[in-house]
Amino acid sequence: MSGITGYSVYIPRHRLSREAIAAAWATKAPSGSKAVAHFDEDSLTLGHAAAAPLASGVEALYFASTTAPYWQRSAASLIAACCDLPAEVATADFGGSLRCGATALRAALDTGKRAVVVASDTRQGAPESAEEMLFGDAAAAIAVGPDPGIAELVAAVSRSDDFPDEWRRDTDAYVQSFTSKFSTARGYEANVVAAGRALLEQAGLEPARIARVALVSPDGRAHLGAALALGIPAGRIEDPRLADVGITGAAMPLLLLAQALDRASAGDYILVIGYGDGADAMLFRAVRNGDRRLAPDPHGIPYPSYQIYRKLRDYLRLRVGGAEVSNVLWEREETQNVRLHGTRCPRCGLVQFPIARVCSACRNAEGLVEQPLARRGRVFTFTKDFLYEAPIQPTVMAVVDLDGGGRFLCQMTDVDAGGVEIGMEVELVLRRMRESAASHHYYWKCRRI
Amino acid sequence: MPESIKDKVAILGVGCTKFGENFDQSFEDLVVDAAYAAFADARIEPERVEAAWLGTFSPYAGHGKASVSLADALRLYGKPISRVENYCATGTDAFRNAAMAVASGMHDVVLVLGAEKLRDRPIRGLSWEGGHPYQHDGLTAPGVFALAANRYFYRFGGGREALAKVAVKNHHNGSLNPKAHFQMEVSEEQVLEAPIVAWPFGLFDCCPTTDGAAAAILCRADMARQFRDDYVLVKGLGLAVTSGRPWYDPTFEYVGFTATQAAAKQAYTMAGVRDPCKEIDLAEVHDCFTWTEISNYEDLGFCRKGEGAHFIAEGRSKLEGDLPVNPSGGLKSFGHPIGASGVRMIYEVVTQLRAEAGPRQVRDAELGLVHNLGGPGAVACVVILGNQ
Repeated sequence: MSGITGYSVYIPRHRLSREAIAAAWATKAPSGSKAVAHFDEDSLTLGHAAAAPLASGVEALYFASTTAPYWQRSAASLIAACCDLPAEVATADFGGSLRCGATALRAALDTGKRAVVVASDTRQGAPESAEEMLFGDAAAAIAVGPDPGIAELVAAVSRSDDFPDEWRRDTDAYVQSFTSKFSTARGYEANVVAAGRALLEQAGLEPARIARVALVSPDGRAHLGAALALGIPAGRIEDPRLADVGITGAAMPLLLLAQALDRASAGDYILVIGYGDGADAMLFRAVRNGDRRLAPDPHGIPYPSYQIYRKLRDYLRLRVGGAEVSNVLWEREETQNVRLHGTRCPRCGLVQFPIARVCSACRNAEGLVEQPLARRGRVFTFTKDFLYEAPIQPTVMAVVDLDGGGRFLCQMTDVDAGGVEIGMEVELVLRRMRESAASHHYYWKCRRI
Repeated sequence: MPESIKDKVAILGVGCTKFGENFDQSFEDLVVDAAYAAFADARIEPERVEAAWLGTFSPYAGHGKASVSLADALRLYGKPISRVENYCATGTDAFRNAAMAVASGMHDVVLVLGAEKLRDRPIRGLSWEGGHPYQHDGLTAPGVFALAANRYFYRFGGGREALAKVAVKNHHNGSLNPKAHFQMEVSEEQVLEAPIVAWPFGLFDCCPTTDGAAAAILCRADMARQFRDDYVLVKGLGLAVTSGRPWYDPTFEYVGFTATQAAAKQAYTMAGVRDPCKEIDLAEVHDCFTWTEISNYEDLGFCRKGEGAHFIAEGRSKLEGDLPVNPSGGLKSFGHPIGASGVRMIYEVVTQLRAEAGPRQVRDAELGLVHNLGGPGAVACVVILGNQ
């Protein structure tokens, strides 16, 4: 019996209030804020942040997104490398439909392998559109495998439906849609209700037995009608987080499932339904009480204005430059720069980065051992630099002493520069550093824990 | 026991261009002006030069790469010329190599020239060619030293007020120097209120981006008197290199520079200096940022580690203090065309030892120290010069 062995959610720390968007366009604002990927984040880095806590020892890593940074280069494989997974890990990238997150989850459950499935999206609404108000950025990961300690899979169904209500061509920057009552009824509602009913029938359950429903919502409202049509009482529907995160695309079914698992009691039936060109629906039964640790993040950092948000969104895209990194250098330094390995001296025990042939402390050159470095540590020293060209100043540069050894230099991100202190605890996070003419460039930054 | 270079090499003459934003001068103009000033000062014809060393840090627009930049500017062909690059210690290391060649007996008369044309470039500050494509993204020259300054203040206390005193002193000295990039006084308030560049450094804590060149003519000490009576002698040389990536070195304390400490020890040993604070009459040190000068006081042994702020506060490094530091105005005020700076410091110390420094003259100057510091405090060169 396969099922869920772990869950993790990553919501970027920055927020844009809908009032700020409305002020920019001199229009009325729906309430709340949306979570926005910072200028150095994208779907891949969000995905890494969500997947990393669950990735240890998995046999497969699946990545699902409608906004993957590459058309051809596997985000799953890069995330797997950043999680220091071995070459034997099965990676796959899912996309093409808004339900790809749910599809990937079902596919992973079907394999029976120990896998982490991460869904991540950073969808852009066109300036001044309803999507711009609604869409938020987030990633969520679900770990699956045999001997599930959290919830076991009871039933799963899929539906395919080529109905054009929302789409994006290979040439489109923004989502295209027919927004109408007809779209919602014929597309979203028809599919999720049919999938939900099929699932309940397969499991032989009355709707009233469902304790929690992780039902994606295209707009923060339509899911209520669909749940009603399924006969599920309103109190059991997961809040789609429109108010503080937004409509999170491919990430949404996994985000809501993680939320449901977090609050579940042992024995609860949990229904998850993803929608897009059909539906994928799964029914789980919780085998233990949830951890109740996914409280909404109170530490969101608001962008001061819509203009700042626009500047940050476009910053890397508009500043293409700098050298390409040859695949020769990439390959030779992969364990160091991507997998964050350093070297330990067998004679004196010193751990150092980058990978070294000779020990910095005792100059021993015999038998230095490569080893993974901890991704947490404390600020040893830092500066706040206003000379470095960056979209937000200052750029905080930090020298970090990693737990268990090794000293690292990196930028600090998601940071209030005024609060940085020597001794502060930080974690290393994968971020997008810059754009060259042919590539995105990722590297590590640190942020306050 | 290695042989000392003491009293084997003489400086016959020195030359230096006006430092600053020399928009109307090319790299070649700077080289020619500095070299011919040194030829005139040494009272030699250019043909007398048997070999030359060129110090440049950062080639640009066809200049400063390899020995040919010097050969072409001076039409000095058919002779041994080497280009030296060793971060910001380039100028003194070029001098050191030239001095060793003379001391070896291989050459009698040689030229050392440092030059840099930074203001031709379309960027602010310094570029970092050949750096890793992303490992150091976000690190600037002031940022590199600010990492050390912040750790230093964390360990020993103090802050921007101590730094401001260095800026005020060096701007004062620069105001007395017609060749300095900046020739204006600043007040402590001005320094403290200036915009921050990289915390804790404000604008006046940072040396400027400058054009300039400086040159020196060296010869065997035993033949120096053929050219002039008041030549200056090399008393000691030291060069020490530590990690160029101290931010990765868990053993590095980040409160000063062991490269400077080691280079100073070498030079003091050669020169027979036991108590630098008493024996050295003046020092030109590498004040790329105000904090660096404070650390230099300590690393050069003028005072103990952690006491540099007192050393400046007590006025000991002022022109009229007991150990005047950077009477020229320093990098802070004179400017810092990277490859030129070390040779320019030698120009200043020679000028002081010959008592030709005018209003900024240090009284009774007989033994002077030059200190150059490159990279993230990783390459230090110390030269000790003295009267006969």
